Amino acid sequence: MKTKKQLYFALAGQANVGKSVIFNYLTSLHQHIGNWPGKTVEKAEGKLYYKGYTINILDLPGIYSLSTYSIEELVAREYIAVKKPDLVVNVVDITNLERNLIFSLQLLELERPIIIVFNMIDLAKKKGIEIDFKKLEQILSVPSMPTVASHGIGLSEVLDGAIELLQKRVLPQPLKFGEEVEKQIKELITVLNDVDLPYPKRWLSIKLLEKDKEVKKLIKDKKPAILKRVKELSLNLEKIHGHDSSVVIADERCHLVSRIIKKVVKITKPKKISFEEKLHIITTHRILGYFLMTAILGLMFLTIFTFGNWLSFLLEKVFSDWQIWWKDVFGNSILATLSWSAVESTLALIQIALPYILPFYLFLYLLEDLGYLARVSFLMDSFMHKIGVHGKACIPLLLGLGCNVPACLSCRIMETERERFITGFLTTFVPCSAVTVIIMGLVGKFVGISFAFGLYIFALLIIFILGRLALKFLPGETTELIMAMPDYKVPNIKTIILQTFFRLKEFIYIAAPLVIISGVIIKAIELAGWLNPIARLLSPITVNWLGLPVITGILLIFGLLRKEMILVMLAALLGTTDFAQVLTPPQMITLAIVAMFYIPCVATISALWKQFGWKKTVAVTLFKTVFAIGLGGIVFRLLTVFW
Amino acid sequence: MNEILLIKLQRGIEAKIISISGGRFASKRLADLGLTPGTKIKVLRRAPFFGPVEIEVRGSKLVLGRGLSAKILVKINEN
Repeated sequence: MKTKKQLYFALAGQANVGKSVIFNYLTSLHQHIGNWPGKTVEKAEGKLYYKGYTINILDLPGIYSLSTYSIEELVAREYIAVKKPDLVVNVVDITNLERNLIFSLQLLELERPIIIVFNMIDLAKKKGIEIDFKKLEQILSVPSMPTVASHGIGLSEVLDGAIELLQKRVLPQPLKFGEEVEKQIKELITVLNDVDLPYPKRWLSIKLLEKDKEVKKLIKDKKPAILKRVKELSLNLEKIHGHDSSVVIADERCHLVSRIIKKVVKITKPKKISFEEKLHIITTHRILGYFLMTAILGLMFLTIFTFGNWLSFLLEKVFSDWQIWWKDVFGNSILATLSWSAVESTLALIQIALPYILPFYLFLYLLEDLGYLARVSFLMDSFMHKIGVHGKACIPLLLGLGCNVPACLSCRIMETERERFITGFLTTFVPCSAVTVIIMGLVGKFVGISFAFGLYIFALLIIFILGRLALKFLPGETTELIMAMPDYKVPNIKTIILQTFFRLKEFIYIAAPLVIISGVIIKAIELAGWLNPIARLLSPITVNWLGLPVITGILLIFGLLRKEMILVMLAALLGTTDFAQVLTPPQMITLAIVAMFYIPCVATISALWKQFGWKKTVAVTLFKTVFAIGLGGIVFRLLTVFW
Repeated sequence: MNEILLIKLQRGIEAKIISISGGRFASKRLADLGLTPGTKIKVLRRAPFFGPVEIEVRGSKLVLGRGLSAKILVKINEN
């Protein structure tokens, strides 16, 4: 063997198979999470040093097939086929062996060195599933390793097996389909012989029979005559089997897998209904399920906001001490003031990240790892459909209540670009924790708590209406929910903590540049004495249309940085925290509504930019501004009539 | 006879998939998950408010949107 110290492994598997548990176990803090170039798909890479090797591990997105339904699937197969990692580690959940193996067969077709990790053998035992691994390994002719990843059991054997396999340099043999299908494949392989593409010929042939759009495009560019032959061969298959040739191929895989299952799996169903199953029944119950969901999520928000407000207050004190210290050391020069505003912007980010985003992610990953979020999607699907997205979209929307930035980033869980955008767009209308500060501190305190809650319901209504409108204006069909229902399981604390940590890091990285720059710019405007002129310039909007005081212009500029600044600045500019003296109730409600819906804060703009590109970001920003101002004026007029 | 849409299939009754309508996209997507013609299928529960269905297929639990489950024709197994 050549001495090759750098190795590249790709982790591939379906969702909820424990792939990220294995990834986190192996790479720990040596991770980097980013996006695939030009795509909204997340890319998680990590490093591991093992027996003299540097192993670079790439955690591919969790997918259910290697077709082209989602960008994730395309990204995964392109990576394996074109970038050719040294080894594919296919993680399989043996409590869902049959469905998982269908995917494994697709991976084998890519003809890269591969080992299959059969994870969760502890849970399988509990479910009475027994597997003959020796026989399985024989049939698949691929190293097969049983593991309990959540306890780290079997993972060093996986690495040893991987290195051994690479030393032997064996490629997997794709399993043979039925005679008729093989005949068509063989013929296509000969036709494809002089076509120069980086994919295995057999794989190309299979994909052509599956009528894969991307592969068809590739062939069309190289040798379009082949497509005619493909059509004839597909028709042959369709005549024999009576189904579309794409389904015939999938069916062949299913047959192969069920034959394997028959040979290697023995199931003795436990007589008693397990605790996990009982939990599943209760949490998906048509009445109880909704009660529990409201209770669990309500408790979660209550805990986060109580904790968040406490910590935020504490940090505020510490940071204001720092400001005094900064002034003592650097004085009051323009440079000192501007540089402090850069520091302050960074601190402000931390003041959101630690008290609110951190616990939010912890809770969310806990619920996800436990398996509860899938139940939420199940219960919420029909409501989500009303706004043109399926059940999974409720997760970004929930996150939005904490902060719009992670909410925007989590839109990656949606399958199509269209749904990602609709979900992302709608999340920016969800009142985040900063908006909650305004609603509660202004309307809740001075107008009445029922009005504050009314505003939340109003926001919900707006999201609903905008969702319906987005559905009309963005062409395309709503993707139906297809989701594996995972069994409940004990959450893996290490994975939860690591994921939270990397998310927080991502938040700071994405938000910091724009937040710091705009913090300094706004400070410079203030120092130049331009704030009041700008406020006056805005007065046709703020005073004439919205019916608010002139200083609102200043508030809205500061609100760009962080929305709660609107309240902070209001107190600072008026010299009082008794807002009832200076604002009438309709004015407070109008201000709260404008604050809720106008321009997303700069951190959210950064997130939108990263996720959807600058064009869509500008469009969303402009729309929101016009929408909020328009709506604010109307609400103000209506309120003054009744008040 | 005995052929109904999955959406109408009673809870706990075992059936076999006959066909999936609604274009190649839907049928291929489901076939990749193991829902091919001839596959045994069982409805475990439905979400209220015309929500999705949870099914058991090939030993796994899957959730399918309601629209999708209206595209799957199944035949109830005798006995």
